[in-house]
Amino acid sequence: MINTILIFPIIACILVLLIKNKTFNTWMVNLYAVVHIVASSLLVFGKNTELSIPYFALDHTNAIFLLVLSFVYLMVAIYNTGYVKNIDVPARRISHYSFMIMIFVLSMTGTLLSTDLGVSWVLIEATTLSSAYLIYFNKTKHAIEAAWKYVFICSIGIAMAFVGIILLNVSSGDVNSLNFAQLYQHAASFDLPFLKLAFIFMLFGFGAKMGLAPVHFWLPDAHSEAPSPISALLSATLLNSAFLVIVRVFKIMEVAGCTNYARIILMLMGFLSLFVATVFVYHIKNYKRMLAYSSIENMGILAIGIALGGVAYYAVVLHLIGHSLAKASFFLTSGNVLELFNSKRVKSVSGLVTADGKTGWMWVASFLAICAFPTSLLFLSEFLMIKTMLTEKHYVLCAIFALLLTIILFGIGRVVIKMAFGELSEDKAKLIETNKNRVSYWMYISQFVMLILVFVLGIYIPNCLNEVIKMTAGAF
Amino acid sequence: MATGFIILFGLTMLYLAATSRIIAHIRILIVQGVLLFLICCCGAEHSNLLNFAFLAIETIVVKSIVIPWFLYKVLKQTHSNRDVAANIPHFYCLVISSIVLLAGFLVSNYFVSSVKMIAPIYFGVSAATIIISLWLITIKHKIISNVIEFITMENGIFLLSLSVAKEMPMLVNMGVLLDVFIAVYILGLFVNEINKEFKDLEVSHLSDLKDYEYND
Repeated sequence: MINTILIFPIIACILVLLIKNKTFNTWMVNLYAVVHIVASSLLVFGKNTELSIPYFALDHTNAIFLLVLSFVYLMVAIYNTGYVKNIDVPARRISHYSFMIMIFVLSMTGTLLSTDLGVSWVLIEATTLSSAYLIYFNKTKHAIEAAWKYVFICSIGIAMAFVGIILLNVSSGDVNSLNFAQLYQHAASFDLPFLKLAFIFMLFGFGAKMGLAPVHFWLPDAHSEAPSPISALLSATLLNSAFLVIVRVFKIMEVAGCTNYARIILMLMGFLSLFVATVFVYHIKNYKRMLAYSSIENMGILAIGIALGGVAYYAVVLHLIGHSLAKASFFLTSGNVLELFNSKRVKSVSGLVTADGKTGWMWVASFLAICAFPTSLLFLSEFLMIKTMLTEKHYVLCAIFALLLTIILFGIGRVVIKMAFGELSEDKAKLIETNKNRVSYWMYISQFVMLILVFVLGIYIPNCLNEVIKMTAGAF
Repeated sequence: MATGFIILFGLTMLYLAATSRIIAHIRILIVQGVLLFLICCCGAEHSNLLNFAFLAIETIVVKSIVIPWFLYKVLKQTHSNRDVAANIPHFYCLVISSIVLLAGFLVSNYFVSSVKMIAPIYFGVSAATIIISLWLITIKHKIISNVIEFITMENGIFLLSLSVAKEMPMLVNMGVLLDVFIAVYILGLFVNEINKEFKDLEVSHLSDLKDYEYND
C-alpha cells in the first residue's frame, strides 16, 4: 500500500507532462487524491497490510497525520476541479500546475511516512521546491516576492536543520544512523551539550517550515499570494508535516532526558507565535493574510500542547485534525470571496451574505469552527489544553493563553462579521453579478463537508478514529 | 595539510566581507570550491573510491564551475557590479568578521576538543563561516549578494559535514543535495523571473507585501 501511495503519483506526473490537456490533468490530480485516501485508509484501518518498506513505514505516530493529509488533499482536489476552470492560462501551464501539486503531495506523504531523519530532511526540501512554483503560479510581482521570501527563508531554515542533523550525529557518537528507531534506542547515551545544540538548530530549521514565531516571516506572504487551493494545502498539510518531524525530534530529547529543556524552548516559541498572531491580526487589512496569521496561532498552540505533555498530547492530535479541516475550509472559502470581489482587501468586501448566501454563511461557519465555538473540534482541544494547564498549576500561562486567544478571536471576528454582513454597494452588486458564474458547485462541496465534519467530530468521534487518535497521542 | 586549507578557507570569508565588487565575490566562490576539493583530497585515504569521486565531482563541477557560471550570467544580464549601499562600511565588516573568526577558533578549541568525533579546526572555521555569512546576508542590499552569501554559508556547512564524513558518508551526500537545490532555484526563480519583473536586483524592491497600508 505504501508503494501505491508513493509510486502512483510518479506515473501520474509523467502522464500529465506527456498529455497536456486541461481536463485530463485536473482529473489526474483527483484520481491521485482518491488513490491516496483509499490507500491510507486501508493502511490505517485495514488489517493484514504491509506497513513498511525500506525507509518508509506507517507507525503509531504518523497514522493520523497521513489520514488528515489524504482527506484534506481530496477536498482540495475537488475544489481545484472548479478552480482550474477559471484560470485562463495555456494548457502547458495547467499541466505544470497539476504536476507540481502531485509532487508537492508526494513529498509531504514521503515526509510523513519516512522512518529516517535524513530522508525526512530531503523530502522537506522537496516540498519547498515544489510549493515555490505553486506559490508563484500567478506570476505577478507580488507572487514573485512571496515565492522569493519563501524559498530564501525556508532554505536557510533547511540549512540550519542540516547543521542540527550533523550535530546530532556528533552527539550520537558511534550510532552511525539517522533511523528514528535506532536514535530512540541509543538516545540515552548521547552527548548532552551537543544534543541540546542540535535540538535548537533543528527546531529553528523545521520550525521555519512549520511557521513558528521568530522564523515565520514567509508564511503570511506565501499564503496570501498563492492560489487558494494551494494556500489550503500549505496551511492544512505542509505545516503538519514539519510539525511531525519536530515531534519526532522532541521524542529523542525526551528519551535522552532533556525533556524540560526542550519543553521550555517549545513553550517559548509557542507563546511567541500566539503573541505575533495577536499583534498582527488586530489591525489586519488583507483577509488572506489574516488566515495565515491564524495558522501561526494554531501552530503555536500545537507547540504549547507538545510542551505541556500528558493529556495535552491528546488535545494536540484533536487540534491538529480540527485546525486542518477548519483552516482548509476557511482558505477555500476565501478563494470564493476572491473570485466574487476580485480583491483581497478587507475594506473592499462587505455584504457577503447578500452577495452569495452559501459563500457568506460558509465564511461565518469557518470562523466559528476556527475560533473554537462549542461543538467545533477545536473547542474540545483548546478546552483540554486549558484544563491541563490548570491541573498542572500553570495559572499565569493559562491566563496569558486565554487572553491572547480572546484578542485573536476578537480581531478575526471583527473582520469576518464586517465582511459577511453590512451593506452591499450597487457597483459591487454589478461586479458580483458578472463574477457569480465563476464560482461553480465544485467550489462549495468540500468546505461544506469539512465544516460538517469539524462540528460533528466535536460531539461524536467514531470508535475506530478514536483508537487511532489515542494511539498517536500515546506514541508522542 | 588539510589544516592549512581550512585556514585559507576561513580567510576567504574575510575577503568576502571586505570587498564590494560582486565579480570578486563570484571568484571567491570558485576559490572556496577548489579549497573544499583539496580538503576532500587530504581525507581521501579513509573513504572508498566511489564516494571520493562523488565528492570530487560535487566540489569541482558544481561548486567551482556550475554555480559561479550561473551567477556570472546573471551579473552580465543585470549590469549590477557593485553592492555599494551596504549598511555598514567595509572596514567594520572586516573587523567584525575577524572577531567572529577568532572567536570560532577560541571557542572550538576550548569546548570541542573533548569530543573525539570532530576536529576543533573544522568546527571553528565552519561555525564562523556560517555566522559571518548569515550576518552578511542581513546587511547587503542586492539579491545576488544574498545568494552568494547563502552559498558561502552552505560551503561552511559542507565543511562541517566533511568532518564527520568518515563515519557517515550519507550526511555529506545530503549536503550535496542542498547544493543542487540552490542551483535549481537560482536557475528557475532567480535568473528567469525576477529579472523580468524587476529592473535591478535590489532587495528593497521586494518589500511590497506587508500588513499595514497594503495595496493589491
